[in-house]
Amino acid sequence: MGRISQYIWRYWRRYLFGGLCLLGTATLVMWIPWWIREAVRIIEHGGSLSDVTYYAVLIIAAAVVQGFVRTYSRALIFNAGRDVEYDLRNDLFAHLEKLPLSYYHKQRTGDLMSRVINDISAVRVMLGPGVLNFVNAPLYYVYAMALMLSMDVRMTLAAVAPFPLLIYVAHQFRGRIMKSSLEVQQQMSALSSHVQENLSGMHVVKAYAQEDFQAQQFIALNKDYEVKSMEMAKMRGIVNPVMQGINGLTVLIVIWYGGIRVMRGDLLVADIVAFIAYLNVLAWPTAAFGWMLSLVERGRAAMRRLEEILETNPEIRDEAASPAIHALKEGIEFRNVSFAYERQKNGHSALEEINFTLPVGRSVGLVGRVGSGKSTLAQLVPRMFDVSTGAILVDGQDTRKLALRELRRLIGYVPQEPFLFSTSLKANLALGRESYSAEELTRAVEIAKLDRDVEIFPLGLETLVGERGVTLSGGQKQRATLARALIMNPPVLILDDCLSSVDAQTEAEILHGLRAILKEKTCLIISHRISAVREADEILVLDEGKIIERGNHDELVRDGGVYAELFQQQRLSEELEQI
Amino acid sequence: MTEETQQEEVLGKAYDLRLVRRLWYFIIPYKRLFYLSLALLPLQQAFGLAQPYLMKIGIDQYIAGKNLLGLQTVMLCFLAALIGETVAVFAQYYFSMLVAQRCLADLRVAIFSHVQKLPMSYFDRNPVGRLVTRMTTDVDVLQEMFASGVITLASDFVMVIWIFGIMLYLDVKLALVSLALIPPMALAINFFRGKARQTYRQIRVRIARINAYLGEALSGMAVIQLFAREEKTYREFEKLNADHRDAYHLSNLYEAGLYSMVEAAGSVSVGLLLWYGGGEVLHGAIGIGTLVAFKEYIHRFFVPLRDFSQKYTVMQSAMASAERIFQLLDTPLDVTSPKNAVVPKPFRGEVVFDHVSFHYKAGDPVLKGVSFRIAPGEKVAMVGATGSGKTTTIKLLNRSYDIQQGSIKVSGVDVREWDLRALRRHIGVVLQDVFLFSGDVRANLALGDPSIPLERIERAARVANAESFIRRLPEGYDARVRERGSNFSGGQRQLLSLARVLVYQPEILVMDEATSSIDTETEALIQDAMEKVMRDRTCLLIAHRLSTIRNADRIIVLHHGEVREVGSHAELMEKQGIYYRLYQLQYEREELKLASHDTPAQRLA
Repeated sequence: MGRISQYIWRYWRRYLFGGLCLLGTATLVMWIPWWIREAVRIIEHGGSLSDVTYYAVLIIAAAVVQGFVRTYSRALIFNAGRDVEYDLRNDLFAHLEKLPLSYYHKQRTGDLMSRVINDISAVRVMLGPGVLNFVNAPLYYVYAMALMLSMDVRMTLAAVAPFPLLIYVAHQFRGRIMKSSLEVQQQMSALSSHVQENLSGMHVVKAYAQEDFQAQQFIALNKDYEVKSMEMAKMRGIVNPVMQGINGLTVLIVIWYGGIRVMRGDLLVADIVAFIAYLNVLAWPTAAFGWMLSLVERGRAAMRRLEEILETNPEIRDEAASPAIHALKEGIEFRNVSFAYERQKNGHSALEEINFTLPVGRSVGLVGRVGSGKSTLAQLVPRMFDVSTGAILVDGQDTRKLALRELRRLIGYVPQEPFLFSTSLKANLALGRESYSAEELTRAVEIAKLDRDVEIFPLGLETLVGERGVTLSGGQKQRATLARALIMNPPVLILDDCLSSVDAQTEAEILHGLRAILKEKTCLIISHRISAVREADEILVLDEGKIIERGNHDELVRDGGVYAELFQQQRLSEELEQI
Repeated sequence: MTEETQQEEVLGKAYDLRLVRRLWYFIIPYKRLFYLSLALLPLQQAFGLAQPYLMKIGIDQYIAGKNLLGLQTVMLCFLAALIGETVAVFAQYYFSMLVAQRCLADLRVAIFSHVQKLPMSYFDRNPVGRLVTRMTTDVDVLQEMFASGVITLASDFVMVIWIFGIMLYLDVKLALVSLALIPPMALAINFFRGKARQTYRQIRVRIARINAYLGEALSGMAVIQLFAREEKTYREFEKLNADHRDAYHLSNLYEAGLYSMVEAAGSVSVGLLLWYGGGEVLHGAIGIGTLVAFKEYIHRFFVPLRDFSQKYTVMQSAMASAERIFQLLDTPLDVTSPKNAVVPKPFRGEVVFDHVSFHYKAGDPVLKGVSFRIAPGEKVAMVGATGSGKTTTIKLLNRSYDIQQGSIKVSGVDVREWDLRALRRHIGVVLQDVFLFSGDVRANLALGDPSIPLERIERAARVANAESFIRRLPEGYDARVRERGSNFSGGQRQLLSLARVLVYQPEILVMDEATSSIDTETEALIQDAMEKVMRDRTCLLIAHRLSTIRNADRIIVLHHGEVREVGSHAELMEKQGIYYRLYQLQYEREELKLASHDTPAQRLA
């Protein structure tokens, strides 16, 4: 609970002031029945109307003041809950931004999302309504019991006799409802996985005309869900009326037993009226007692889960003293680099003993089959992962010693799977740079061959990308991510098979346009098409994480190895296309 | 997530007659229960509203009159009313939930059955998650409507009228004093409610934005980090977060105001009652009990006013969900059996494509005038480069899609005139990516059809060489298959899918062959099983194995959506055209590989 109290402490003024308002509200709430009693007593004894009016005015005044004070007490405490929610959400987000890619490989986005959303909300409920009731309930009890006892001890004991029953019933049902609702949830998830699977395998369902059998299975699951839901509804439906009924019972006791006492002459009707009023006041805190406990329970559990995220160590971070780098002078070197993903056990690694240098102004091409380790190699350069052994050097400096931000500023990375944010196309393109000239933008768009698409878009570069705007094709997205890297204008460019969804014709045009730029930059080019890497100064052929061939295009073709075969194949399929 | 939250933003009417009528259609089968639950409403209210009245009688007549017997009688009545109310409230809720659960279960089945009949093209366009949401979340929102929406909304209104009536009956002047308080209170409550609703709408939009932003940032975290955008992104997120907090701060104030208002109103009315009613009592016009009863009635009057806004929002969400559900139910079924569907008898395994043209997207043809005939029992291999239209061709044969031009005839009848189910029963399809359902092995081979005897399943598995590995599983045919068959190897899944064909014994086999297995032993088993499965059937195969091509009677070469070459392997090789190049590209390497390894497959051959 250490972290949670830090958050609460930050808003101690709100909580304190809110608490004081609660105290004020409770005081006013508790005096009203007392004054009612006084007024009724006067009426009962046939006193003067002006005395009654005095108490009536007192009550109205108290009610009005109470209205304001109560408003502030609730608003203050609920707001404090929202404030903590705000801080907590910010802190979580900031922390998530620091976590490395390997963390996101382990977590599914959907799971992470629902955890963040549901758990934050549970913590907030604990710190808003939870705190309010936590303060209110004992306050009301102490006040009301003291006042009732001061009126009449025996009446008080008789009146609150059903309260233990009330608490017991509430507690019992809460446990059962929670269990039942868990069952309903499980049944619902069984139902939705059936639907999910049915829809994913729809081609098989249709091909074998299995629609009816699928529906029968669904109907069975659906029936189970209906039965389970009904069980829960039954319990939910019972709790409220029973609680109300028990509360009504206390009133009954007061009138019955009180009535007998009044007849005997040792109690006033005014006392009965006051007792009924106090019991009404206590009804809610009593009913909410169990609920409040469960709020705290859930809030604490949720906070523990959030702390798990907050305490996950960002493995890739800046070392204490990292020298600033502004430009690439010598180049990039892979020195004995090996890398294994966490999930890879028993000695298997994604990359083994990779050695090569990429001098400034030169380019290296990478080819190899799917899963040979090309993308992994590229992702090591901007430290999306850290090498397991060996080192990657930038201008002779180990990348792990450089400031992360500066290192990444040097590199324009165009990933294999294009990711665009759902803002305007322009904002997406300008992701890597705060300011740029109009020409730079136009040029980048032209080179990436995005200009023709932009012309067709309804709002040009201001067009929104994604669900609410234009849905881009895979090729368009890839070209947009290329333009994004070009606008950034970094000294190093890494193209990770970034034109795979672009047709061969357009790719050729893009490569043509890129040629001049690539000459100015230090480039690492990954491609499954030979055409993209054939002009590189050195080409590395990767297989199962190892470099199996290296050299320039002509050398590799002459050697007649894997690369030569690949080249031959691609020529054939190009020929085939032409027919 | 994003799609959902965005749809959440659009909240329209809380009551749409057209939608309510369509929902009513689902209630009709349970209308007796529904009416019963409605009938319980006035009963429940009568029990509830009797209680303050009984309190009044008890205090004014019997306590004041020192009549113990009378007090006991009236308190027993009070107890009865209390029990009656408890039972009636429960019964009313129970019956209305029964109606809700049953008719919503029906609705879910209706959606599911409808979705089963939707054409494949619909699934290409709509993500699975969205359809699942229709059957789960959206239906649940409707349940919420039953639990706390329409019915109680109507009953609240009735109750307010009841209370007016009783108060007037008890004491007209006192009732008027109380009524005098109600209009300004109602106005004030209305003010807060309106404000609260406005902010509530704002909050929905803002929370949707936060979640959408968070979701996007999490999936694009690599890009954020690569472009060193952490700070900027954080600032944007922080702003959205602050907007959300501010909206809530405002809403909390209104909500707190609304709540406190109702509480205060109760006390103010008590003050007024004492002030005016006190005089009446002193004059002897009414008793103290009447004041007590009035206090109770006024309290019961304000509660529904307070809860109204919550119920209104529930109704709005329910209407939005209903709209989405009925939209799905209204999606036309393009591919259906015609009215006078034909089932040709006897069935001949003949397939004819006559100038078939087809496109998924207009202006982007996939097949351009494809014609060929496959004689009964003939085995035809279809080859072509990626994107040549092979897979599309086999999908058209069982009417997964309808063609735009030409005709496809099976057993001499156009597939569009066939009874759809019968057609599909005659055509067995094996796709590259074998889909297994979660369940057991047996259910996967029989596809859940319980009428298929176990012997037939076992025989099929034996012939398809699947028996040996099934027997090795601890539970044999009852072994569990995990989602998408992830606990079986690729080769095992292929064997299972071949066994599935043998269970159903279709006359025509259409197969998009999977690439050969890395495991040579399994590969031999697959090739052997394939030969057996293909025997005595008309086969249309997209070949990835050399052996499959060799076993084919004829080869059709598809290129850019057209049939370019037809003939035997030898004939086509001699031609040195497209097939010749394809062979070099796709099959030659395999031949080299097989030759060098001398696999069991070849020994078998």
